[in-house]
Amino acid sequence: MRIRLLWRERVLIGLLVGSGVLLALLSDVFFTPANLLRATRYAAEIGLVALPMTMIIISRGIDLSVASNMALSAMTMGLLWQRGIPVWPAAALGIAAGTLAGWLNGWVIARVRVPAIVVTLATLAVYRGVATGLSGGTGILGFPDSFLALGAGTVAGVPIQTIIWIAGIAAAAVFLTRTAVGRYIYGIGHNETALRFSGIDVDRIVLGLYTASGFVSALAGMIYAARVGTAKSNAAAGYELTVITAVVLGGTSLAGGEGTIVGTMLGVLIITILQNGLTLARVPAAVQDVLIGTVLVGAVLTYRERAGRKEVFVIAPPQPEPHHAGGRVLTDPGNDLAVGEERRNP
Amino acid sequence: MAEPLLQLRGITKQFPGVLALDGVDFALTTGEVHALVGENGAGKSTLIKIISGVHQPDAGRIDYLGAPATFPTPRAAADRGIAVIYQEVALFPDLSVLENLYVGAYLRPLRTTGRRVDWARMRARAQEVVASLGVELDLGAPVHRLSAAQQQLVEIARALLRDARVIIMDEPTGPLAQPDVERLFSLIRQLRSRGVGIVYISHRLEEIFAVADRVTVLRDGRRIITAPVAHTSRDALIHDMVGRTLDALYPKTAVNAGTPVLEVDALGKDAALADVSFVLRRGEIVGLAGLVGSGRTTLAHALFGIDPPERGRVRLDGIDARVSHPGQARELGIAYIPEERQRQGLVLPFSVGENLSLAILRRLSRLGFVDHAREAAVARDFVRRLDIRTPGINVPAAALSGGNQQKVVVGKWLAAQPRVLIMDEPTRGVDVGAKAEIHRLMSELAGRGLGILLISSELPELLGMSDRILVMHRGRITGELRRDEATQEKIMTLATGAA
Repeated sequence: MRIRLLWRERVLIGLLVGSGVLLALLSDVFFTPANLLRATRYAAEIGLVALPMTMIIISRGIDLSVASNMALSAMTMGLLWQRGIPVWPAAALGIAAGTLAGWLNGWVIARVRVPAIVVTLATLAVYRGVATGLSGGTGILGFPDSFLALGAGTVAGVPIQTIIWIAGIAAAAVFLTRTAVGRYIYGIGHNETALRFSGIDVDRIVLGLYTASGFVSALAGMIYAARVGTAKSNAAAGYELTVITAVVLGGTSLAGGEGTIVGTMLGVLIITILQNGLTLARVPAAVQDVLIGTVLVGAVLTYRERAGRKEVFVIAPPQPEPHHAGGRVLTDPGNDLAVGEERRNP
Repeated sequence: MAEPLLQLRGITKQFPGVLALDGVDFALTTGEVHALVGENGAGKSTLIKIISGVHQPDAGRIDYLGAPATFPTPRAAADRGIAVIYQEVALFPDLSVLENLYVGAYLRPLRTTGRRVDWARMRARAQEVVASLGVELDLGAPVHRLSAAQQQLVEIARALLRDARVIIMDEPTGPLAQPDVERLFSLIRQLRSRGVGIVYISHRLEEIFAVADRVTVLRDGRRIITAPVAHTSRDALIHDMVGRTLDALYPKTAVNAGTPVLEVDALGKDAALADVSFVLRRGEIVGLAGLVGSGRTTLAHALFGIDPPERGRVRLDGIDARVSHPGQARELGIAYIPEERQRQGLVLPFSVGENLSLAILRRLSRLGFVDHAREAAVARDFVRRLDIRTPGINVPAAALSGGNQQKVVVGKWLAAQPRVLIMDEPTRGVDVGAKAEIHRLMSELAGRGLGILLISSELPELLGMSDRILVMHRGRITGELRRDEATQEKIMTLATGAA
């Protein structure tokens, strides 16, 4: 397993450096500190939402409602502030609304047992619709500078949201690799039934994941509103697909059970510098989309090619001699299938 | 014996790093049932794959119907009358019985050419074959509606429709209940009387003595012996298979049952469980017999909280307990080794160590963080205590043999230190050596005061391991037999509701 992750990360780092060099050659503006910092402001929004998304996809779920949730919570915050509530309490309430929206997704998925893709496809529309209805079609402007700093300020030269993102990456990576619940999330992705039969409260973990996704989406919604200076109902439109693209590019398997936070971070960086650099190099948006899609498929194919070989290598150690234990062969010589492959009858 | 139908001489097959078959001879005559036995990895599956054209031998020769033959593909073998019926039924669940019978070999109309299919002729021939077997089968029904036994019948009929001369059956009784096993045996005898040669593979040695004419034992890719079953014995076969003498096959030690650890009173769940009451004492192994669907697994799931009961009471060591989910059961000291090892028991891509610690990961954690050193220590301890044969605790569970995988599931639950252990078909699909080890382990655990509820469809196992046997039929307990009075006949009478 470990070899494979290293390989995947190597591909991603190569891709990141390669596209960075290429974009620097294509545009003089790309490789300037000002531009790179600006790019990380956008990357932080995608990257934050991608953290719970990674865990959800590892658990074999999906959350399509994240971008709608960003708009809904930003709108909630804006309206409360417009009606006289100070901006920070309004932001806290906006985040609470987004967390509740995420919890609702999780509740329907875990308790009512509707597939995640159906539930969040529905709330993708519902949350955006509620945000639009609340807004009455207009954006809200004029937030105080203290709030705008969340989207435009820096600490020691580093954008505030980038710092939040880095903290989030560290927390998520530690959570996923070091805690019992992190282990369970991988287990749910591989075999939910076996987890239930081991006495693990799968429903509670699933509920927690979608709630966390709602919370982080709402937080990203605040950052977005602060960056653009407006709370509007069409905020972050289409972000959910960028987030999912970054997560999958980072090596998380939509089939569940596989994925890392580091991979997701690299995926987010690659997608965002491609979008930023290609725009600077005046590549038309349509061509950008085609390029990003190609990179995604290409990268995922290399994981699969390589993964297959490595897995066999790891599982059936060096192959030479079968393990004789007590005079018996452990490996089944008749079994020429790769591990994980189902036995199909000829 | 009649003339040889299929003869293999000096078959050798090398896989990278493994000599799977080493100069194996095997012969099948017409009208013979030839059993093939051996532990997992002994070379049985490689041998049948060579007979059926999946693999090509590196050395040796095959004579079929009196002439040298090669089977370059499975299709070539099938066309020449060699059929394989695998353990897992290989049918298309949504197609009808008739369509399944002819998939890949549709009959064309006799007079016309082209791609049309002659359903009428196919139906007529199928009816003929099914009738000749003396069974009933609705040709129009979709296969997923059939029972496991009926599906097997479809596979046998399919083989006959293709004029199979050799039928290879790989663990055919795995999914069958006892009466269906009897029916299968009479069908096998019928096929034999028609001159079909049958290669019969099974881990259940009783079956071999019930149905086979000769038996060949493979071990480590070599043929150890071929003998008429009348000239061998169960113990001799086991000795040949494992290369050593196993101590008693069912090493049940007499115990003095202690205080009641689990008391179940009038447990009920809609129609599936009706007022089930029984007591399990410390140190006792209580067998739970019954046909598939009699409510044994429903009872286990109710006790373990997977599917909580609607009525009734459960007491543990005399204290009322309510179990509404498996996590609670675990904390109360109830463990359940599930029926479907790979689907319910293990996370196959997880390592042996991760599987062993799965049920107690929180206990191995501090403030939610897993103590990896402690986890590894626990895993190594169980690998050693249960003699789990694995290259290491970091190897994925998927890489282990069935018996060793089962030991991992047992270890996972022993780690939780239960007082009641429910084992649902603990030795299904496990080879004879690992099976004996699991039985010995059960005896040892009972000796240390654990109460064990053993669910099994294998009557010799129930009779051999249980202090008492409860028999279920249609969701209720229809009888209780003491170890000294229990027999297969009495159990079957109670299990079929004939009493």
